[in-house]
Amino acid sequence: MERISPHQFMMISSGVLLGTTFFPVAQLAAGAAGRDGWWSVLPAYSLGIPLGLMVYTLMRKYPGQNLLQITEGILGKWVGKLIGVLYVVISAYFGALLLGQVADAFRRSVLPLIPVSVYSVTIMLLVILVAWAGIEVFARFAEVVFPIVVLGLIITMILSISRFEWEEFYPVLGNGLTPVLAGVLKIAPFPMEYILFLAGLLTFLPTVEQEQRQVKTGIWRAIILVGVLDALLTLTEIMVFGPAEAQRLNYGLLALGKMIEFAKTFAGIESIFMLVWMGAMITKIGAFYFMAFWGMQSVFGVNKSWKWFLLLGGSFLLLSSLPEGGVELLGEITLVDESVILPFTVGWILLVWSVDRWRKGVRRG
Amino acid sequence: MIKDLTVRGKNRKVRKAPWKPADAQGDNPLSASQVRTVLGKSSDIVFRDFVIRGAEDIRCLLVVVDGLVDKSILDEFILKALMFDLKRQPELTRQLTTASAPQIVLERLAPANEIKKISKLEEALDAILSGDAVLFFGEKPEALVIGVRAWANRGVNEPETESAIRGPREGFTETLRINTSLLRRKIKHPSLQIVSLKVGTITRTNVVVAYIENLAQPDVVDEVLRRLQAIEIDGVLESGYLEEMVEDLPYSPFPQMFFTERPDVMAADLLEGRVGILVDGTPIGLVVPAVLTQFLQVSEDYYERAIIVILARFVRYLGTLMALLAPAVYVATTTFHQEILPTSLALNVAMGREGVPFPALLEAVFMILALEILQEAGLRLPRASGQAIGVVGALVIGEAAVKAGLVSPIMVIVIGLTAISSYTIPSYDLGIAIRLLRFPLMFLAGVMGFFGIGLGLYGLLIHLLSLRSFGTPYLSPVAPLRIRALLQDTFVRAPWWALKRRPDLVDTDEPDSGGQK
Repeated sequence: MERISPHQFMMISSGVLLGTTFFPVAQLAAGAAGRDGWWSVLPAYSLGIPLGLMVYTLMRKYPGQNLLQITEGILGKWVGKLIGVLYVVISAYFGALLLGQVADAFRRSVLPLIPVSVYSVTIMLLVILVAWAGIEVFARFAEVVFPIVVLGLIITMILSISRFEWEEFYPVLGNGLTPVLAGVLKIAPFPMEYILFLAGLLTFLPTVEQEQRQVKTGIWRAIILVGVLDALLTLTEIMVFGPAEAQRLNYGLLALGKMIEFAKTFAGIESIFMLVWMGAMITKIGAFYFMAFWGMQSVFGVNKSWKWFLLLGGSFLLLSSLPEGGVELLGEITLVDESVILPFTVGWILLVWSVDRWRKGVRRG
Repeated sequence: MIKDLTVRGKNRKVRKAPWKPADAQGDNPLSASQVRTVLGKSSDIVFRDFVIRGAEDIRCLLVVVDGLVDKSILDEFILKALMFDLKRQPELTRQLTTASAPQIVLERLAPANEIKKISKLEEALDAILSGDAVLFFGEKPEALVIGVRAWANRGVNEPETESAIRGPREGFTETLRINTSLLRRKIKHPSLQIVSLKVGTITRTNVVVAYIENLAQPDVVDEVLRRLQAIEIDGVLESGYLEEMVEDLPYSPFPQMFFTERPDVMAADLLEGRVGILVDGTPIGLVVPAVLTQFLQVSEDYYERAIIVILARFVRYLGTLMALLAPAVYVATTTFHQEILPTSLALNVAMGREGVPFPALLEAVFMILALEILQEAGLRLPRASGQAIGVVGALVIGEAAVKAGLVSPIMVIVIGLTAISSYTIPSYDLGIAIRLLRFPLMFLAGVMGFFGIGLGLYGLLIHLLSLRSFGTPYLSPVAPLRIRALLQDTFVRAPWWALKRRPDLVDTDEPDSGGQK
């Protein structure tokens, strides 16, 4: 049985949480809360902490099972299967949308003349490769890639400081807290995507008591780390472009990369940054690929074989080609995030956790 | 956690040679006539018949391989002792019969320090062919093996492939026993274990596995022995045979076993809990488990002051990256991403490429191929001629190609930089892997620019992350992160006085290094 260490858990969690969120986060936050959008990001991410801790509690109580298996045990076989099917469909569809988003971003920023399918297929091949190698390798991949991705983001932000329009920072909370709360709702699906991944990851987490406690701290540490990072990124985009432009730009980070100039010599280096961020994209899409496969294993009992891996990869490619790129794709991602992932995750985790607590109370009573 | 990873390697199948090896093992009874029949056709086998006068006349046969034994020892301490000195001991002479001879000679008559009794034909053949003398007494099914091995061998010289400015000047030789003695001279502790085995059904090559008990993980030692014992092959002439037969993933371009000619390097590895493998007939020893960063370290890193090593290692890592990526980045930049260059530089590049009839990808491929040919040609020639080839290649062909407009001057600079960078890689095996991987990366860069390079690099990363060497992840201590090893002895080396615990690149039972507390 494959196992990952607490440090790898922290890195894989951070990697999946961050994923491709650095593309839309500023647009969504600024769209909902204007110049105060960056205030929304950390509270939105924090919403994932209680749900993560609920999943952790269930893991401690039902060792060796993922949340799908736990759900079957608590809510019954058929409800469990139904949730499992939803889990597979959501993971596959949303993962495919992210694949489409990544391919679209590359086509727009790096090489516009290459067909988008070339990007999709090649990235998918890497995802299948890392998924086939197993969760240990995936965790090690996150261990290597996540710090580099963070470094890339920090460098981008630092090199953008010279373009900051400081007056864009004020007034702070000029429209009160209501727009910030609206921003929280917009960003809230991001941590939920991670909670879904955590639900499937449970069986690979450490079983030693001390390491399990480290996993618990790993959950909130990862959420806060990525929350702060995305908040700073949102702030950077707002400070550079202003709130109106930040909410208009589909790939604000790429626009930021295009504006960066280093030592008055090198400019237009967003294609190099894209190389770095590609690792984060593979991590995120890989996470959804794993989720879909774990769901298939739990619901349909499929085994690890090339046949299923390629079939799932093919489905990702097919689904990713359905929406057009650009605004339509981002709209679809936002729709699935807000209307499906957020309610599904909150509802599922709360239901399973509550029923388990209620049963415990009944047994005690 | 790592123990669990190590054990997993046990399920790995050991590859077998594609041909069926001849059976040279067995359990046949021993007799002098049988040995004469088996070995009698070979002109280098010496059969010396003589008679010992005891209570009865005992017809003896001494069998040795000419050239593998010390004849003076044989004459002085065996033949003279039995044929002449025995006469001065009448009491012993009276007891000596064909039946009692092996025991009496063993205990009282042969003043040799290595002597033992054997009773199987295969043991006798093995001993004779390994350079021992075997003494038969009539047709008695027992014989004595006397250690008189001595053959012409190269002395202990400085290893050519791992020369060092500072450090010992001795290297392994082709004689296994000299090599084990070199190790033993460095580690004078009873916990140094040297386990012998034979590999190769025809060559019967002596192989030793060296490790330090309590430091090396028993799982790893057992796994090394298991994989070596499971090898089925006719002959082993170099440690490379074993490497290919026991490595974890044979289709990877990356070396999964570290090789060294230096006893000090192997001793240092053993002290870190690794396992060494020495093969008779080659000065190249193997060390497992191996991790990628190990291939970018040299012995001097541990003999120079730590502060100096920081720069040396940085240069090596940078050189490795440049050797891998420089041509691909050139192709991607000139073909797709001119915007990242400053305008003046972009203009220079464009002017240089003006009139070059090939796309950047082809230009780079041609030049790298030319470099590979020059390197391969220089490698096999005598040293002086090799240097001449370098001069001809670099100056004559390079400059002529630029003047003829076949390649751009910047391309020549890139290739020169690539070649020089590749010489910073201390490991020949890793250097070859990097040279090999340049080609697909150049191709990807030529087709998809930086995105292609990204694809190649991430694919490479995934491959490296899934590699293991005898259970140890190949990218350790970076992934899985082992913070102590990373800080102590990976990109930098901590000073010796700060190394209170072993860098845990490999799991050891005893993490305390015994350093300054």
